[in-house]
Amino acid sequence: MSDAVDVDELQTWLEDGYASSVRTAYLILGNRPDAEDAVQESFLRAWKFRDSLATGSSFKPWLYRVVVNTCNSKLRKEIPHRNRRRPDDDLDDVAMIEDPIGRVTLSYDVMTALRDLPAHLRIVVVLRYYADLSEHDIAIVIGRQPGTVKSRLNEARRRLALHPALQSEAPSSINDRKERQS
Amino acid sequence: MTTFDEEMMKRALREAADDFAISDTAMESILDEARDSGASDESPRIRAFIQRNGRTRSTLLAVAACVVVLAVAVPLFNSEGGASKNRTLTNAQGVVTPNSAKTVAHGVSGETITGTGFTIGANAQATLSPTSTGLTVKVPKSSSNASTVDSSLRVEEVGTIHLTVGGTHFQSTLTQLTDFATTDGGFVASTQSHMGTKATHSYSTGSIVLQVPERNFTMLVDQVRHAGVATSVVTSATDVTGQYVDLQARINALQVSRTQYLKIMTRTNSIGGILSVQNQLNSIQSQIEQLQAQLNLLNSETTYATLTVSLREAGNQVVTPAHPATGIDKAWHDSLRGFATGVEWLIRIAGPLLFMILLLAALLLIGRWTWRATERRRGGIS
Repeated sequence: MSDAVDVDELQTWLEDGYASSVRTAYLILGNRPDAEDAVQESFLRAWKFRDSLATGSSFKPWLYRVVVNTCNSKLRKEIPHRNRRRPDDDLDDVAMIEDPIGRVTLSYDVMTALRDLPAHLRIVVVLRYYADLSEHDIAIVIGRQPGTVKSRLNEARRRLALHPALQSEAPSSINDRKERQS
Repeated sequence: MTTFDEEMMKRALREAADDFAISDTAMESILDEARDSGASDESPRIRAFIQRNGRTRSTLLAVAACVVVLAVAVPLFNSEGGASKNRTLTNAQGVVTPNSAKTVAHGVSGETITGTGFTIGANAQATLSPTSTGLTVKVPKSSSNASTVDSSLRVEEVGTIHLTVGGTHFQSTLTQLTDFATTDGGFVASTQSHMGTKATHSYSTGSIVLQVPERNFTMLVDQVRHAGVATSVVTSATDVTGQYVDLQARINALQVSRTQYLKIMTRTNSIGGILSVQNQLNSIQSQIEQLQAQLNLLNSETTYATLTVSLREAGNQVVTPAHPATGIDKAWHDSLRGFATGVEWLIRIAGPLLFMILLLAALLLIGRWTWRATERRRGGIS
């Protein structure tokens, strides 16, 4: 396999998974610059160790595994040692979209609730509800048993259901948005 | 939401995450970086090869372990032999005879000669020859297992020669010595002379300090020796390679630190941070300049060898032999010496004597006072 072929393969990976990886990392890390850094590092790392992807195994969980590991590494080593960026930092990007107030409110609430979750719970929530991975695939991504994933998801759901931001804002904002959309 | 609404969560997460656009430039930069690193990246192929064959992997691991063990063990076994070679080389550099322009060190078969800043492989015949920057160790390419050594030794050479010249040749010899230095590519660092006259019965003396490139030092010593009658020739060489290498390493390390701090400074936004980094940079710069000055001095000292020549006109006897004393003279001197010794003895014992006298006087006073008190009490009772 020549280098040119390898780089073409990487390009395919990027086209398929870059955007979703950045968004997943954004939900895990809580801010966009860190997410982009993490995903860039993850893709380069994944491409470097591409031979560790066994033939026939699924690419998506494998790539997510690299991304999640990089995010975990950032959460452990890098981010705690500096001032954490707040989700407000990315408001410039959201200000250009349609119906900014409702979406910003919901985004802010979700991000607040996610940020208040411990990292290991946040990761399974994001993988389950944003990346739409099955519990089995999440188990592969985080390197745990499916039972552990299930219990973590339950714990995360319980905490999110009790989170003040989602409790107070979610029903009304959803209803409002539904009305606006209709 | 008291119960968890999964659909709502999916939508909310999607909206939160899809709020920003993804730029293609980041993907391009990943591809560029992958292309840059991909050309020299052989690790995936090696890993794939290892994964394909488990036995090969074990063999490779065993070979790697053997190489590591050998790399650690061989220097340990040879450390004693290496030390002896160091001594030999040090001696070779430490004592430089005026006629020795070249020092040759022979490596013993199967051994490694390890010196400061250089290594000579097995079966090597190393030649130390003077160069403009010091002694260079050259190993013949034909030597098996001999690694090429291009590290140069830094040797500081100094010498002193005492010359006696004929009375009429004193001035011409001084001129000749100056010519030697300039011919050999050097210069006269300093000169000092005192011209004697017959009227005052004094003799001409002087000294001249010559500095020549280190490679011409031996030649200069040889020329100066034959410019007059050499009464003493002392040369010495000091190996300062270790000091030189150490200074260079410290300067390099500090320069790396300086670069790091400069990078940090570009990323620092607060004034406090900038000032703090600036302080560190100033400190590092100061250290670099100090070390650089030391390195320059060392460089200058090893580039030029120094020869100090003391000149003396023939017949100028500095030390006069003592005349043998006659009987009366000897007796008179003995008498004077005895008198002086006696006075010295008196002075020496005066101190302890005075102390003893004072002590006795004190004891007498105490005894007398006690006796009187006793007598007074007896008289009172009776």
